[in-house]
Amino acid sequence: MNAYRYVLRRLAGLPFLLLGVVTVAFLLSQLSPAEPLASILSERQLSNPEAVAAAKARWGLDRSPVEQYLYYVKNVFEGDLGISFRTKQPVIEDLAARLPATMELVLAALFLGVGSGIVLGVVAARFRDTVVDQLVRLIALFGSSLPVFWSGLAALSIFSVQLGLLPGPGRMNPRAAALDPITGFNTIDAILRGNMASFSDAVTHLILPAAVLGWATTGVISRLVRASMLDVLGQDYILMAKAKGSSGLRILFHHALRNALLPAITVIGYSFAYLLTGAVLTETIFSWPGVGSYAVESARALDYPAIMGVTMLGGAVFVLTNLATDLAYVLVDPRIKLQ
Amino acid sequence: MTIPKNVSGLVASARVAILAAGVAAGLGATASAQGDEQPLIIARNLAVNSLDPARTSCDTCNIYMAAVYDTVVRLGQDNKTVEPGLAERWEVNGDSTVFTFHLNAKAVFADGSPVEAKDVKWSWERLTNLQGGMSWLFEQVKSIETPDSHTVVVTLSQPDSEFLGKVIAPYSGVVNSKVASQHGAKTSKEEAATDTAEPWFLANSAGSGPYVLAAYAPDSELRLKRNDHYWNKQADIGEVVIRQVKDSVAQAQSLMSGAVDIATEVSPDTAKTISAPDVTVQTVPSYQFLYLALSPGAKGNPPLSVPVRQAIGYAIDYKKLIDFTIGGAGQLVPVAIPNGFPGADGLPAPEYNVKKAKELLASAGLKDGFTMEAVFPNENYYGVDMSTLMQFVQQELAKVSIQLQLKPVTFPVWLQTVKGEGTPLTASFYGPDYFGTDQYVRTFAMMPGTRWYTRSGAERVQGMANPKEKELLDKALASPVDQRDKLYHEIAQLMIKDRVIIPLVGPNTVLAYNNKVEGMRYSVVALLPLQELRFKK
Amino acid sequence: MSASAPLIARRPRTKWFWSVLPGYFGFTIISFWIVAALTARFWIPYSPFDTVGSRLTPPSFDHLFGTDALGRDVFSRTMAGALYSIPIAFVVVTIGAFIGCVLGAFAGFVGGWRSAVVMRLVDITLSFPPMLLAMAVAASFGPGLTTAAAAMIIVWWPLYARLMQAQVLSVIRMEHVEAAIASGVRPGRLLLRHILPLCWTPILVNATMDFGQVVLLAASLSFIGLGAAPPAPEWGAMVSDGAVNYYFWWIAAAPGVAILSVVLALNFIGDRVRDILDPRKHQS
Repeated sequence: MNAYRYVLRRLAGLPFLLLGVVTVAFLLSQLSPAEPLASILSERQLSNPEAVAAAKARWGLDRSPVEQYLYYVKNVFEGDLGISFRTKQPVIEDLAARLPATMELVLAALFLGVGSGIVLGVVAARFRDTVVDQLVRLIALFGSSLPVFWSGLAALSIFSVQLGLLPGPGRMNPRAAALDPITGFNTIDAILRGNMASFSDAVTHLILPAAVLGWATTGVISRLVRASMLDVLGQDYILMAKAKGSSGLRILFHHALRNALLPAITVIGYSFAYLLTGAVLTETIFSWPGVGSYAVESARALDYPAIMGVTMLGGAVFVLTNLATDLAYVLVDPRIKLQ
Repeated sequence: MTIPKNVSGLVASARVAILAAGVAAGLGATASAQGDEQPLIIARNLAVNSLDPARTSCDTCNIYMAAVYDTVVRLGQDNKTVEPGLAERWEVNGDSTVFTFHLNAKAVFADGSPVEAKDVKWSWERLTNLQGGMSWLFEQVKSIETPDSHTVVVTLSQPDSEFLGKVIAPYSGVVNSKVASQHGAKTSKEEAATDTAEPWFLANSAGSGPYVLAAYAPDSELRLKRNDHYWNKQADIGEVVIRQVKDSVAQAQSLMSGAVDIATEVSPDTAKTISAPDVTVQTVPSYQFLYLALSPGAKGNPPLSVPVRQAIGYAIDYKKLIDFTIGGAGQLVPVAIPNGFPGADGLPAPEYNVKKAKELLASAGLKDGFTMEAVFPNENYYGVDMSTLMQFVQQELAKVSIQLQLKPVTFPVWLQTVKGEGTPLTASFYGPDYFGTDQYVRTFAMMPGTRWYTRSGAERVQGMANPKEKELLDKALASPVDQRDKLYHEIAQLMIKDRVIIPLVGPNTVLAYNNKVEGMRYSVVALLPLQELRFKK
Repeated sequence: MSASAPLIARRPRTKWFWSVLPGYFGFTIISFWIVAALTARFWIPYSPFDTVGSRLTPPSFDHLFGTDALGRDVFSRTMAGALYSIPIAFVVVTIGAFIGCVLGAFAGFVGGWRSAVVMRLVDITLSFPPMLLAMAVAASFGPGLTTAAAAMIIVWWPLYARLMQAQVLSVIRMEHVEAAIASGVRPGRLLLRHILPLCWTPILVNATMDFGQVVLLAASLSFIGLGAAPPAPEWGAMVSDGAVNYYFWWIAAAPGVAILSVVLALNFIGDRVRDILDPRKHQS
């Protein structure tokens, strides 16, 4: 197969896929039996035809579904996702305000998950088919079997309530003076502002949710790293290095791991998307003010503009990370590059 | 077979770029040190529906409005007497139809401009014309005149001896009309539909109260800053943050850990488990209550005739309910008017009698019971978890073979449901906005136009309207106090017979706060008057 | 999916203890829960729906797993909860796999624009994070177990469609199929008799692996209030009750362990099924 052509085809298909994502989001809002006017207007306004007409005009509800759809697509591509019924603010602003919190959580979880996954994977490959290997496998399985909403709760109960080691839910201590956002990542902002108290506040708040969320990916990564390590370890140049008398550790980390990581990049990409999903529940448990908890609140409130916005954002991120993963794969995998 | 150099180079240079941009921004911004003054942190289930004075109506909104928008007159510490607010004095004519307010010349808005009669007129007319949740407050107003810049004359279309109460309600707070108009606020009836000021009000305030809005982040926090131009006694605490903490237990936990200074919705039950030496827990009676509402006109035509509604009333063990939902810290409420309000004294306590309930159901031909849906808001009100409450009611009604299908929803969805096709049985809460009984009659009685007349679908069902109530209310509002209370008592008895509203419990208010906070009290209007709070020195 | 690294053939030194035992272990746990789902109502000590003791009491001999905020017995509720999670997972995987296989086989067999329509639909559905799409669908149809199940089917079928289509495409090129085509076998018969029988393995392996994921997703939807309605003792909903009262750890402990045990067991079984049916992909 020609990887470049594959990627080009993916790139060309991207706009259509995104249009499909918008369409599905719109269809879902149309399927709903909920009456949007009832969530916009008060009881008195509902019995006032003028107020009803004005609201319909303002929210575009007086058009036919087809017109609404075209109008919506046009707005989306102009960066306007409508106004949330619940927060009364433009959805795009709501999302922009919450995205850094989610990214911070997801990246921290990715870091923990991938880091521990790689270490465990190498260990499992080294001690293949021994008790250690099986133990790693068990840890991995546990990680992907634990419901994050429960492990989050358990972590809170143990580390915050019982032991008092780490702070409870939330992103920052409310008492601390608010950080002026630069990047929106509290940890980075704190460093940039040279505010060490805020930094440790942000980090201690981040540890529990990131660990809970990251554990779920540890499993997938460790198994993948293990498999490709075993694969690489069996290849000629490793055997050669061995014959030349390189030490075990050097072979393991210098020669083998570097090459075994190539396929892992794919999984990191997919894990990222997986973590975004997991963030929905983790954020709810930890009162994390990100896109995930926003999604949950919006879904519960039947706030269609917001639900559509979040679904589309999720879809777009999903599509783009998949694409980026493929690109990264082509870029770094020498075997594909040679073709 | 190595990672190509260009990739790592690219990553590295990107990182440098981000850092550089960040540092530049960091140096450019002014230091945001707040001094060493600590903000006051309050844990609360925000549930804010709007911060636009003409559109809002929620408990957090009461706190907010009272702190940010001063009213023309206000309620005294005893929760009963009327005291000067923006108006230094006022006059009422003999039959309570003309009210004249003289504004205090010292009163200024947070931007320094004077509070004038035109602002009062503008704000009250906007409240009425935008038809928001609290627009009924001024619906009896015939005209508002402003003979000079500091005099407001309100003429009512019929006598209302409780009109001052409506002026006290936090939603009657006065808005800076010039500033609000610049941001799309409209006041006239004709233009009301084109008012676009709501988003602005979510990020800014335009009042003359002791605090101003600093920032509002939905689901997260409401941040208030002291109004340094306040015309009256300045608030003690410079910054107040109301943080979203939904559940009673989580609120108690953050109070004990010291993360917050005040928790507003700790249930009495959870309050008992608080054992931190630096936390004070006081339980005081409140005027708030939780109730069941039965809607005979809801979709599916539930068989909720009068005997069935009475049966439901008898089927609930109210004392056990109080034990179960709030650990016994509450009062029985006979009618949808709080104990202690005019006309509510001396009514028989609600009765629990399963036998009677069964007989009533049998008389209605429903010996074997029936099934109905119950959509309810899945929130925490006054420390009571509504899901727990409704599951309790479900168990009680199952004893008389009435099966409830519970549908917990969020508050906005619930509102949408009761405003739309309705739901046969639901539960909600009510806290007064001023000291006066007419607000209850106008909300719960079976007369056209009241909130629950509409929500219960009464106009779709024969014989639901109770014209006697309307007649008595008009009479009461035109009567002197002693007669008025007697008339309210009569209305209360009629409302009990309607049995559309079944009050469940009047939970005590739990004041749970860190010892360093002083000035905590329960207020009818403000719930929690922020400007009275201070830190112990 | 992108290309995966080629595996060198090797003879695994796995012992019976590690490869077979987890499968049996998983099978035992699942059997337990299936039996519980079918019979719990006859042997649990208390009604799972009613107040049976004082509220929020920690585990004791009377109430093995304690009581919740309404004084209900958490042990009885956890056991009764099997009747929600397991049937739902079964229904979702079965229907999802059925729809996916029918459409995937159709797309793979007919090719052309009809195949393109199906596969683009698959692409679009798969471009949403599953949890978000399920949430949006469940919210649109209104909360409830049935809508949650429908939402999960909508999320799940495309995976099977893609798998089935790829499978059909590869089988159709096999010699015996080409021979059958050449000998003029009617298309319907060709598909049913010659192609499909060779397509099942990956579907079956995937279905077993997916079971656990469906149990998790269903519990997640209930947890955020888009699944089972109270007072149903659905595990996710019970954990959510515990989240409201996270001081009282025992409310969420048992249902959480129940979810964990089911998902873990299904993963064990999934691994085993893959080992048996698909030795090529054996990795551990």
